[in-house]
Amino acid sequence: MAEGAGGTPEPIGRLIDEFHRLPGIGPKSAQRLAYHILRVPERDALALAEAIGDVKRRIIFCSSCLNITESDPCSFCQDQRRDRTIICVVEQPLDILAIERSGSFRGLYHVLHGLLNPMDGVGPEDLHIRELVERVRAGEVTEIIMATNPSLEGEATAMYVQRLLAPAGVRVTRLARGLPSGADLEYADDITLARALEGRQEL
Amino acid sequence: MPERPRAYKTEGIILRRRNLGEADSIFTVLSPRQGKFDAIAKGVRKPRSRMRGHLEPLTRSRLLLARGRSLDVFTQAETITPYRAIRDDLERSATALYCAELADRFTIEHADNPGLYELMLAVLEALDLGAPPGPTARYFELQILSLMGYELQLDCCAACRGRLEPVETLLSPSAGGLVCERCRAKAGAGRLLGVRAIKVLRYARNVDIAAFGEVRIDAVLANELEVAMAGVVSHFLEREPRSRHFVEAVAALPGRPNALAPEIVRSDQGP
Repeated sequence: MAEGAGGTPEPIGRLIDEFHRLPGIGPKSAQRLAYHILRVPERDALALAEAIGDVKRRIIFCSSCLNITESDPCSFCQDQRRDRTIICVVEQPLDILAIERSGSFRGLYHVLHGLLNPMDGVGPEDLHIRELVERVRAGEVTEIIMATNPSLEGEATAMYVQRLLAPAGVRVTRLARGLPSGADLEYADDITLARALEGRQEL
Repeated sequence: MPERPRAYKTEGIILRRRNLGEADSIFTVLSPRQGKFDAIAKGVRKPRSRMRGHLEPLTRSRLLLARGRSLDVFTQAETITPYRAIRDDLERSATALYCAELADRFTIEHADNPGLYELMLAVLEALDLGAPPGPTARYFELQILSLMGYELQLDCCAACRGRLEPVETLLSPSAGGLVCERCRAKAGAGRLLGVRAIKVLRYARNVDIAAFGEVRIDAVLANELEVAMAGVVSHFLEREPRSRHFVEAVAALPGRPNALAPEIVRSDQGP
């Protein structure tokens, strides 16, 4: 069949469908992107295709921290200057970039690849919690920093991990919660304000 | 039909959140007069969102919404009660989420049910004040079944209406309650409940949550009730609630805090 519904040639229809599957892309955006690809030089379009292929072929998970990497172990786990006794636990690889940008952390990471979400059926066995427990059992680690989001799911995940690790005798800490820079007190929710007050510091 | 106003106010309990696109979320809200509904909060996942903390699941909030084409849109949100003690405790979070899932799954959108709203509030408040999670969940299960029209028959045999002897008795979801020994063969599957468990269920049906919180339920009895009610809930829901698995995973954790666990005492307070 040369043409799909509405006279769209089949390869274009297929590309539109593929774009439509991406997060945040509606049918109209998918069409616009597909027709854009049609117009750009072949070299650019193939570069995109190749980049997508490379990501899927060459990116693997670090066998230690489960961060995305090209070489196993990842650059963080390989770096001997980093403090190997502290592990910062994050929800997703993007969170590592955010924490690295802050320039305030020199330990290792552990990526859970999700948060506990009971109502969507995401349980402990769907996250990489078991691997974290094994790293702690290996003995070198003295502190776990739970850097999950301060949401219900993030808090539940942090508390779950803390309880799971309690028998191992490792110190489990949580990122401080309070007001983000540039926030309005007036619009702050009660829990954030209460925690900000509890975590107040001398000027 | 008079035209509906473009913006409206309601209070509500946030039952769940789903992310939408780059920075938006869809929240499922349980409200006193409009039942359960979904609405969109735009930009709520940006760090400077003014509504973010006020729309966390298991929060009771004052809401201002604008009518949208398909879904309504939150324009303002302010916390009434954040239930912080629930959030800070894993067992209580898990139980509250389980109750929220039942409230979500047992209802259809915009079906007015003030009783359910009151029940959800009562359960959140009890958990926030330190009520034991297990018995509170049982109370919620029994009450929501009644509110949804699936009230269990606990006073006489659900099949023949005959008198129930004070002995171990079958609780059969398909029969709709307790079934006497003679009817047991023709009633569907179920669990055998001891006399103590039956008394607790009868008591839970008739009292408010504060009074039920006074009943002391030991671990054996709590387990008996949990298993029996799980079967009943799954039967009427026609599926297993997803969050039950999480409640079980939390219960299996080491170092369960015993401060809130009920002492081992016979429940002799039932009728």
